[in-house]
Amino acid sequence: MTDLMPRKILSQISSAGLAGRRSEIDAVCALAQSGADESDSWPVSIGLLLGPPRVGKSEILRACFDRLFNQQGEAVPFFHALRRSSLTNEGFARACLSQFLAQFAAFRRNDPRLIESIDHPLATVQRFALPEDYSAVKSVIDSFARAAADRDWAQMVRVAMSAPMLVAVQARLNALVMIDNCDLVLGTDLKAEFTAALAALGSTRSRSASYVLTGLRRPLVNSIPPDQEIFGRTTLIKVERTGDEVVEKFTRIRAQRLGIETSDSTIELMSEQLNRDFFYTSSILEAAASRGVSLKTFIEFERLYTTEVLNGRISHYLDASLREAALDARNVRAALEAIALVNEAGCPVPIDAVAERMGVPDGEGEALLERLHAYELLNLNHGFVSPSGDAVVADYVRAKHRNEITGAQAPVAGQELLGEKLKQSYRLMMSRFNRAVESQLIELLSRFDFQSVPASLFDQDDFEKRYRGVSRVQVRRALDDEVNRVRLPQVVFVHDLGHGEQPGVNWRLFAASGFEGGIYTEANEVLWVIALINSKEPLDVESLNHIDQRLEPSLRSKVGKSGVLSHAVRWYISKEGFSAIAAERLSGAQAYRSSYSHLDLLQDYLTRLALSSTTRPASEFELVIPIEDEAELIAARTAEQIARAADFDQESINQIKTALIEACINAAEHSDSPDRKIHQRFAIDEDKLIITVSNRGKTFGTANGKPAPTVGASRGKSARGRGLQIIRALMDQVEFERTDEGARLVMIKYLKRPSS
Amino acid sequence: MNEDIRTRLVEDAAVIYSGPYLNQLRGERIEMVCQELLDQGVRRIVVNFEETELINSIGISILLGVIESVNNARGGLVLSNVNQSNRELFEMLGLGAHVVMAETEELALLSLTGETVEAMG
Repeated sequence: MTDLMPRKILSQISSAGLAGRRSEIDAVCALAQSGADESDSWPVSIGLLLGPPRVGKSEILRACFDRLFNQQGEAVPFFHALRRSSLTNEGFARACLSQFLAQFAAFRRNDPRLIESIDHPLATVQRFALPEDYSAVKSVIDSFARAAADRDWAQMVRVAMSAPMLVAVQARLNALVMIDNCDLVLGTDLKAEFTAALAALGSTRSRSASYVLTGLRRPLVNSIPPDQEIFGRTTLIKVERTGDEVVEKFTRIRAQRLGIETSDSTIELMSEQLNRDFFYTSSILEAAASRGVSLKTFIEFERLYTTEVLNGRISHYLDASLREAALDARNVRAALEAIALVNEAGCPVPIDAVAERMGVPDGEGEALLERLHAYELLNLNHGFVSPSGDAVVADYVRAKHRNEITGAQAPVAGQELLGEKLKQSYRLMMSRFNRAVESQLIELLSRFDFQSVPASLFDQDDFEKRYRGVSRVQVRRALDDEVNRVRLPQVVFVHDLGHGEQPGVNWRLFAASGFEGGIYTEANEVLWVIALINSKEPLDVESLNHIDQRLEPSLRSKVGKSGVLSHAVRWYISKEGFSAIAAERLSGAQAYRSSYSHLDLLQDYLTRLALSSTTRPASEFELVIPIEDEAELIAARTAEQIARAADFDQESINQIKTALIEACINAAEHSDSPDRKIHQRFAIDEDKLIITVSNRGKTFGTANGKPAPTVGASRGKSARGRGLQIIRALMDQVEFERTDEGARLVMIKYLKRPSS
Repeated sequence: MNEDIRTRLVEDAAVIYSGPYLNQLRGERIEMVCQELLDQGVRRIVVNFEETELINSIGISILLGVIESVNNARGGLVLSNVNQSNRELFEMLGLGAHVVMAETEELALLSLTGETVEAMG
């Protein structure tokens, strides 16, 4: 059985919705193997699956259940989601035990339908057990019945919680027990027995069981006692928000399935504005489908978003979250006041001030804030309250507060929220671009480790003098020959110093702390303060002054015990470079000056050094052309540009173009690709250009790499079959490969170096 | 790309301009134009490759068919202004024996009257 989950049993969303969660699913399933060592027994392991709300924790557990169930291997999965209706000891124990035994029987019989037998009396569930499991299951049920008869709730909970382990060990299997919504036990009578049962399991030595708990992460983490042994036994599996790419792919697939027209830019905006949240994204898409609207333009999306936040599925979900956190209607208003206040403040607000605004009796305010913190509707830190960072919650609260609490006059048409979001949409897209560059810079700084790198990458004027008009490929080759070098420090940590903006320019500041020279003393401590600047024009002196004003305090604050910072370096990275005056001033201050493209070159350079080889990472380009008349000319022109940039002489360029045209014609003639496209990849290596042309044809004008026989050989027809002959004659290496999807032709042309 | 083929009559000869890219489309148009010329009694034809940067194998095969048709009609066809890359292409395909080339259009026209001809090889 493979990992492809052919049967959906508990899982509720498509595989696209689970995209990017493979590693978390693997990590949870791997816990089922821990302690599987035949030679010894280990303490039962406990895993905590932690992550922000709506990140997919429940679905990850369900997907793990499906995977292990379908694998029918040595691990039997159990899953139980706590419900508010079953939070008494007895209620939980009965629900839990029924479910576990039904799932065990279903697994052993490889019949998912038996999972539904949870609603049957335990005696019925017992009958579904395999003959070889019957005695173990009966033993568990009998223990449970005795505890129930004695009204020993604690024992009932213990039996229910340990049932998976007991039945699994008898069947010589490992049990993976997954329990969702564990935060619900907190504050109830069940909590004591639940945690006691877990503790008892945790001290049991068994080859057979692992428990994974999930729920609201903050209350779960806070409930772990400061016990070294417990922490030693507990595995933390963190679920972070997925990346843009995963969410955007999900959005495209889902939109296509729902028949919604979209555009790349709107999908990117959705990902950014909805903070890569699958629930919010699904809500928008389903709303678009049900209303029959498209999501091709920003305004179409923002209109739908506004409707959803004010009175749609998103609004209803957040209403429910607020009610659950607030526990009663009066507190809902207080909760809205609190969240609105901290969102409006834009900075942490003392708890007392927030509690006062909430208008609830003393003591209740802080308790309510704790619950809002548990639900991650805001943040509590050391006596201060700050926004949650969820922009959708902020929009929802702002609109609700405006419409229902302050009683602001609504517009006669349209919504204010729509106007706000349209204004923000451009800024959001810019911040997305900025975020990518910031991530790149932070990752780069983390790689600083005493390397010696070309100095021109930190001196834009010098770089321009050396390399103006030179292709990037040639620059990368020439960097090695530079005599002037900069020795990078070893960066230990990077601080975010905040951001700022002026009309037409925005910036983000960082401080990278580390050591120089490989010696870890105060004297060798160094601080790089970095300004990452995004502007439409070269940075001018006025903007530079603003940036420096923000940098100065950071420089002053970063001092050693002696009160003096040994060495500080300023590095300004500006997208559009620097004005002459700004450059002169920075040069006088011996500050480093780079552009965004220098970051790319520096990254390439460090990668090459890390690989410790003379092979430069290849530049790669991809092109997809339709199978239609003369589309191969586009490919030829592209190849010409690439080859020229890589320093190929004109004769070689002509040969490359001719060969590529023949390859495209062959691909077109022999392709049965449903998308009617030819895919090409161009990779420039140190001394060669590698062109790969792919199609979904059964052949590539060849039979096993040899030219296909032509039928009816007239002189005219025979030349038609000579495409591969031309390719082999013009290119230095030609290889034909079969792929899963079709065929691939790889052509290599070596760079002719001038003879010395 | 416009497949219209530019043609020029020079006394009793014709010059066909093959255009920047000789592929199947243009090749077939040249073939058609050539046939029309032959039908009109033109027996001296020059195909001027001055603008032709690229030729593909299908274009070549059609061109060979055109040469054959002209030969069968007891006419003469010369290629002119063929650049080095395209010359090498013809050579590579072993077509030297089947095509006659001249440096320039004028020389090509002269060659068709029996004057100096630069043959391949």
